This record gives sequence, C-alpha cells and structure tokens, in this order.
Amino acid sequence: MLRPWRARLATLLRRKRFERELDAELQFHIDMLSSQNVANGMSPDDARRAALKAFGAVDAVKAHVRDTWLSRFFEVAAQDIRYGIRSLRRSPAFVLAVVGTMALGIGANTAVFSVVNGVLLRPLPYADGDHLVVLRQARPRAGIEDIGLSALDIDDYRHSRSIADVGEFHNMWFILLGRSEPERVSTEVVSANFFDVLGIRPLYGRTFVAADDRPGAPAVLVLSHAYWQRSFGADPGVIGRVFRMNDRPHTVIGVMPPLPDFPEPVDVYMPTSACPFRSLPAMATDRSMRMSGAIARIRPDVALTKAQADLQITAASLVRTYPQAYPTDGMTVTATPLKGELTRQARATLLILLATTVFVLLIVCASIANLLVARLVGREREMALRAALGAGRSRLIRQMLTESLLLAVAGGAAGLVLASFSMDALVAFAARLTPRAAETSLDVRVLGFAFGLTVLTGIVFGIVPALGTRRDASASLRDAGRSTERRHLVRSALIVAQVAVSFMLLIAAGLTLRSVVKLQDLDPGFRTNDILTMRIALNFTRYQDAQIRQFWQRFEHGLDALPGVIDAAGGGTFPLNSTGLFNTTFQMENHPLSPGEMPPRVDVHVSTPGYFRTIGQPLLRGRTFTTDDGAGDRQVVVINESMARHFWPGVDPIGKRISGDNRKTWATIVGVVQDARQQLATAPADQLYVPLSENRPMLTMNWLVHTSLPPAVMERQIKALMNTIDPEQPVEQFRTMDEVRGESLQAPRTAATLLGIFALLALTITAAGLAGVIAYWVNQRTQEFGVRMALGAPRKGVVGLVLRQGVQFVLIGLGIGLAGALVLTRWIASLLFEVQPTDALTFLAVSAVMVTVAMLACLIPARRAAAVDPIVALREL
Amino acid sequence: MPPKSDLLQGTLDLMILRTLQRGPMHGWGISQRIQQLSEDVLQVNQGSLYPALHRLEQQGLIEAEWGSSENNRQAKFYQLTRDGRKHLADETRNWERISTAVARVIAG
Repeated sequence: MLRPWRARLATLLRRKRFERELDAELQFHIDMLSSQNVANGMSPDDARRAALKAFGAVDAVKAHVRDTWLSRFFEVAAQDIRYGIRSLRRSPAFVLAVVGTMALGIGANTAVFSVVNGVLLRPLPYADGDHLVVLRQARPRAGIEDIGLSALDIDDYRHSRSIADVGEFHNMWFILLGRSEPERVSTEVVSANFFDVLGIRPLYGRTFVAADDRPGAPAVLVLSHAYWQRSFGADPGVIGRVFRMNDRPHTVIGVMPPLPDFPEPVDVYMPTSACPFRSLPAMATDRSMRMSGAIARIRPDVALTKAQADLQITAASLVRTYPQAYPTDGMTVTATPLKGELTRQARATLLILLATTVFVLLIVCASIANLLVARLVGREREMALRAALGAGRSRLIRQMLTESLLLAVAGGAAGLVLASFSMDALVAFAARLTPRAAETSLDVRVLGFAFGLTVLTGIVFGIVPALGTRRDASASLRDAGRSTERRHLVRSALIVAQVAVSFMLLIAAGLTLRSVVKLQDLDPGFRTNDILTMRIALNFTRYQDAQIRQFWQRFEHGLDALPGVIDAAGGGTFPLNSTGLFNTTFQMENHPLSPGEMPPRVDVHVSTPGYFRTIGQPLLRGRTFTTDDGAGDRQVVVINESMARHFWPGVDPIGKRISGDNRKTWATIVGVVQDARQQLATAPADQLYVPLSENRPMLTMNWLVHTSLPPAVMERQIKALMNTIDPEQPVEQFRTMDEVRGESLQAPRTAATLLGIFALLALTITAAGLAGVIAYWVNQRTQEFGVRMALGAPRKGVVGLVLRQGVQFVLIGLGIGLAGALVLTRWIASLLFEVQPTDALTFLAVSAVMVTVAMLACLIPARRAAAVDPIVALREL
Repeated sequence: MPPKSDLLQGTLDLMILRTLQRGPMHGWGISQRIQQLSEDVLQVNQGSLYPALHRLEQQGLIEAEWGSSENNRQAKFYQLTRDGRKHLADETRNWERISTAVARVIAG
C-alpha cells in the first residue's frame, strides 16, 4: 500500500515529467504501429498516416490516462477522510480541545492579517495608486519639511518631465447653511483635475470640470461619502440642492464613493474658484502665497527616483528664476509615495501584532501536537495492529496527517467565524493609526491566507507526533506502550518550546503594558481634571479685524459670568489636542546671528491672559499675561522652563528681549512657566507663549473652562451663551481634558490590550499543555510513587517531586524564552514609552508569573500523585 | 471518464496482468500479445490500454521502468509487483469460478 501513495504523490508533484513520459510512451506505440505497416509493404508516409489513424485521437487517450491519476488520488483521499472521521468521532473531547485551540490561533491570525491586508497589502483605491506621490516643498537647512506650494509652483511641477499631472488641495473649515442648523464642514478646496489625478469617479453625479474652476464660475460642491451618509442619510436626491457657504449659493453636483481620509477627513470638496482665499487675485500671481498641498501622478513608465530627480531640477530652476520668492537658505521638493503616507503610522504596530499572532499560532501548533502525541499513546495498539496487517510507516503517517488536516480544517473554519466577529473592534483600533482602516474586510486574499495557514498548521502539528512513531512496525507490536520514552521526549520538547514562546509574548505584553501605565501616570505639566474644552471657528465673512476681537471679548466675559466657571481662557490650541502648535524662528537681542547661522526655532502658543491659571500650568518666575499685554506696541512673552534652560543657562531670562521678525521689533520676556507636554509620549519642546493680540486676530480658537460642574451642564450653558451672542455660530468638539487625554492614550492602550490578550491566550494554552504532560508523567510513575510512599516517603515529598519535574520544563523554557526576548523585544521599541526593551522589572515579574502559573498547572497532577494508595499501586506492579 | 471499453475493465486488467506474468513488456507489446493470444478475436483499443496500465501502476499492481526495446528504442516496460502477482492469482481463481458458473448457466 506504500507504493500507490508514493506513485500518486509523484504524479501530482512531478506532473511535467509524467506528461513527457506519457508522450514518449504513446509515440513509441505509434512508431511501432507504423513500422509494422512498413513491414506489411506500405510506404513510410502512408504507414505513418495509417498508424495515426489506427491509434485514434492521441489527446483523448492522454486525457483518459490523466483521469486515472486524479481519480485514484481522490478515491484514496476520500477513504482516508472517512476513516479519519470515524476515528475522530470516538474522542469528542479531544476533537473539541484541538478545534477550540486551533480556532483561537487561526482566528487571531486571520483577524490581524485582514487588517494588514486592508491597510498595507491592498492597492490604494485609486487608479494605479503606486504612481501617486505627495509633493512638498521643503527648507532642508532650516529643518522645515513643508513650506507649502503656491498655485504657480504647482503649475510648474505639472510641466516636470516625469509628471503626468498634479492636483492641488488645501483644507478649510466653512460654515454650511441651509440644513436645520448651521454646520461647520471640513472643506477640501481642490483643483478641477484633483479627482482625475487620483483616478476616482463619483458615486453619483459628476466631479469638477475645468469650467467649474474658472474665476467667477457658479460655486459647486462634491460631497464625501461619509458626510453624505452622516448628514443626508445617503439620499442620492441631494444632487442639485443648493446650500449657502461664504455668503454664496453652492450647488451639490456629485457624491464620492468611500475613500481613505486623504489629505484629511473631508465633508465637502469645492473647486479653488469657490474658495474666498484661494480665489484672491494675489494667489494666481504671487509665488510666496504657498497655501496648498499637491498630489502628483508620475508617468506610467517612470521610476520614483527618476521622478524625484526631475522634480528637483524643476525646483532648482524655480529658485534660480525667482530668487526673491523662495527662502534664501534653499528650497527642495520631496515626492513621497501616497501609500506610505497613508500607512506609515500603522505599519510598525500592525506588523508587531501580526508577528505576535504568528507566535500564538506556534504555541497552538505545539499544543495540538502534544495532544496528538498523547492520543497516539492511547492508539498504540491500534497502530501496531494496522502495521502488523501490512500498513507501512508512511501509510500510518498519512492516516495521521489526514486526521490532523481534518482537525485543522474544522478549527480553521471556527477560527474564521471568530475572526469575523472580532473584525469591527480591530478596524476601530486600526482607524486610530491609518485612514485606510475602513478598507479591511474578509476578502479572497484573507480567506486564502486563512486556508493556507490552516493546512500548513495541520501538516506541522500532524508531522511532529508522527516523527515519534517507531520505524519498525513489528517491534511496536511486540512492545506496544514501551516507545513512550521517545514520546515523552517529543512532548517535553514541545512544552519547553511553548513555555519559551509564551514567555516572549508575555514580555512583549508586559513591556507595552508598563509603557501605558507610565503614560497614564505621567504628569503632563498641567491639570487634566475639571476642564472642559471646546472649539469655535468664526465665519470670516461675518467677522473681520476688530469684530473678531470684540467677539472673543464678549465670549470671554460671558464665560466668566457663567455660574460654576472657576476660570476660562482661549488659545490657538491646547496640549494633547490633535491640532499642534506652530513653529517659528526667533533671535535673541544680545546674540546677533553670525553670517550663515540659522536662527533658533521654538513652538509658539497664543492665548488669553487666563490661560495658565485655567489649565493649572505653574508659573516659575516673573508674571503671566495681563489684559493690557495684548494691546499697544509693548510686546511681552512668557517662555517655558526648557526654553529658559536652553537659551539662558544660569541666567535670569526675565527682562531679556527676543525678536520674531528679524530684529525689527522686540518682545520682552516677563515670565517662565513649567514645561507642559503637547503630546503625552513626547518630551516638552522649547516653547514660547504670546498673548492674544489685537494685531493678530484669530478666527479659530480653542477654549478651556475650569469648572466643577458636570460637563453636560456646562456645555448647555455655553451653548445658551453663544445663542445670545450669535445664534448662527456653532460651538463644537466639547470634550473634557480627561477625555482628550484618554483619546491620546487610546492607540497605545489598544495595542497593549491586544498584545495582552494574545499573551494570556498563549499562557493558558501552555499551562493546559503543561498540566497534561505532567499528568501523563505521573501516570507513568504511579507504581514508583506507590513504592516510594510504601518505603516511607511523605506525601509532601511526592508533590515536590512532581512540581520539580514541572518547574524543570519551565526553567528550560524560561531560559530559551529569555534569550529570545532579549533579541526580539527591540523590535517593539516603537510601542514603548520610557521602558527599556530589556526592562529588568518586567522580565522578573513575567518570570514570576510564568513559574507561578506553571506550579499551579502542575499542582493538579501532583496532588493526584500524592493521593496514590501505596497498596493499590504495589498490587498493580 | 474513459469511453465505453470493448472489454470489461476488470477483464482487461486481468489480461494485462496475465500477459505481464511472462516478463516485463511495453504497452505495444502487451496489445500485440493479447491480440495474438486471442487469435485476433480481441483487439485492444489504445484508449483503454494506456489508462488501464496507468491505473494498475497507481494501484501498485505493476511497476514501470524505461528500457531499450527490441529495435533499440527507449520504451516504458511494465512488470508485475508482488501485490500484482497476488492480485493476479486471486483474480484468476475468481475468473475461473465465474466463467465456469456462467458457462454452466448458459449451457443449462
């Protein structure tokens, strides 16, 4: 029975050779026929023709031969499967354990892979997305990656040799009127060719054409899929509706399909001609008006590096031709592939998670292999009998493999169900890392992955126990049940491997968990409780210059007068907010720049005088702002501790003067405040605080209210207040500072939680496996324990003996895991915060957990060993 | 599926095995020998012969080896395996029993 299996397998594997041989074999037959014809007196040509005719259709014969190869293969496979199912049905508990374990392993892998597939592997949902690059103009010597592009710049890059076309975009928040409430919408202002460059078509209606983008053209809008669903209930009838924006009617002409949030989450798209800023005449003539971003499509046959070089040539010629329009310290252009841009943040985390689930799968494999070995012990006689009846070793191995594949497929199917249930949670997690998260689904590739992994797993865990079988069938019948030494060795190796891998996973989980705890306990340098934040963006068509200042003053006074408000202040942004600070150069009065020296850079925060009090950021020296500071020529600033330390080491910075406009005007430093973190995981940078001034009116401000009232109550009061000032003005994004902080912790927390779940899964499976192996070991030594106790060994001693055996496995596993962890944890450094990848405390704690769990797992079989009745055990000897 | 063969499949298999009992032989030789032995009564169709040969090989009843033919060409020679011999013996007994029985019934 050995040969046919091999012959069939060979047929499948060496199909080509078999085809060649079949050709030769049939050709030989035809040649013989034709030479027989020649012998009978035919001419060679006639003989050949007659032979071919007599032979019949060669291809048909070949097809029938091939059928015999395949049909036999399936016939025998079906036999094996029937036998496998019969034999598995006899041990439902075993099947349940294997399928359950397998489902966890495949489920975890499939779920994580589906996200990896949607985010990293799938092509972008744009036509030929690999040829799309984001263009940026940079000032490398000043360390600025993006100074923006002017409309003229973009036009010039359109003519660069390797570029097919360039689309222009910038984001604005406008107020859309015409629905029940005024609504602030994220508006992507784009050139008419924007959608053509990306290669996307609308779901309904049309996108922009060149005529829409001409100066003075009627204003039109295209809705994003998300906004259309959220605000219009996915009603296609929205096309043709007219809304007022920026004091003009805007007609909806199209709805886009779901797209990644590029360049940012968008509600509506409008052509540049409809944007009140972008349509200013200066925008079309002044190269220094760099307000836009650009997306370029590289020509189909051009490599990225070539395109980058060509763009650089264009940039260099721009700087040469219009020197006054570009930074004096040089300007370069960068082209970053769009795909990398969209997935950069998610990549490392997703790959770490994928690696983790692969480790979990390894443990699953080892654990199932262990169960199979144990089952094999019970089937020793059956196997020996079959061997005696003529089944070769290969035949037995094949049967075992068929059974493990059956188990694997059942487990894989269950895993797929598990994965589809966990999908929503995973997508929500990935959405924090990448705009592509929504593209995750169980597509053909994911199903193929799950299937491939299932089969591979089935083969791996099926082969391992098979290796433990005896080569000599008759020997195995003679001393059935005695080949246990070798089995025990296989099982021990498997359990040691499981301990090692579990240890590594626990370390990874422990390190990320510790990072999250550190982030949670971190003092960000300001108060996070009892603060309500909100954002107000004024409609610039209603408010200009002095009106803006008056509006903010009215609002601030109104807030101060509200019951329950302890302090209130406004600013450009606030710490931990997704909107960052702007960055500027400055010069120190007593430190003129030497030729060629770059001015230093700091982050700038603009705020009302009450800001430091409201957010609880301690003043270290000098004073904070007063209401007079923003007015008049006398400019003052407050700096943070690290800026003071950096630029005035050992000197009192109070009274020193700095200039933000190349030594034309000067501002005096009046105070030093303690550092506050802008992002939890990033150390505070040098920072400058300037008072909200009447010279620099801000249309958009974030406000903070220090209050002991519940946030919902406060929110109602503030909305009512705004209604008395301007009923058409929305106040948005009400969040408590604790919520803001929670949001910024969300991604690391989810990553740690997932790693933790996977590690616990691994630990549980390993502990169960260890208990099983020790139980078996105890069984084998029942008599030995009986003898020991009969000779006076205390029961405690027997328990100790068993525990020692278990701990031995764990210690070897720990040793291997420790070495592995020391090598591997550096790969998760990107997930860690203020924790070394080799953090001693984590390693110690995880080791302790591992040993404790192992002891507990061994305790059950150990107690059974101690409960052995010496008399019974001895009688069985 | 192979076309309806001129001979019952089992019968063809049996004749092939029987033919090979004399020693290794290639497909052409087998078809010639069967034709000869049956005194031209049985014409073996190639469309049945080669699938049958490959099926028997898959079943492990015969094995194949490439060798030189009488006119010095490379040909695929089939020969009986141990299983094949055993199978042939069993099937021959079977065949004799059945054909005797059938003969009796028809003569009956």
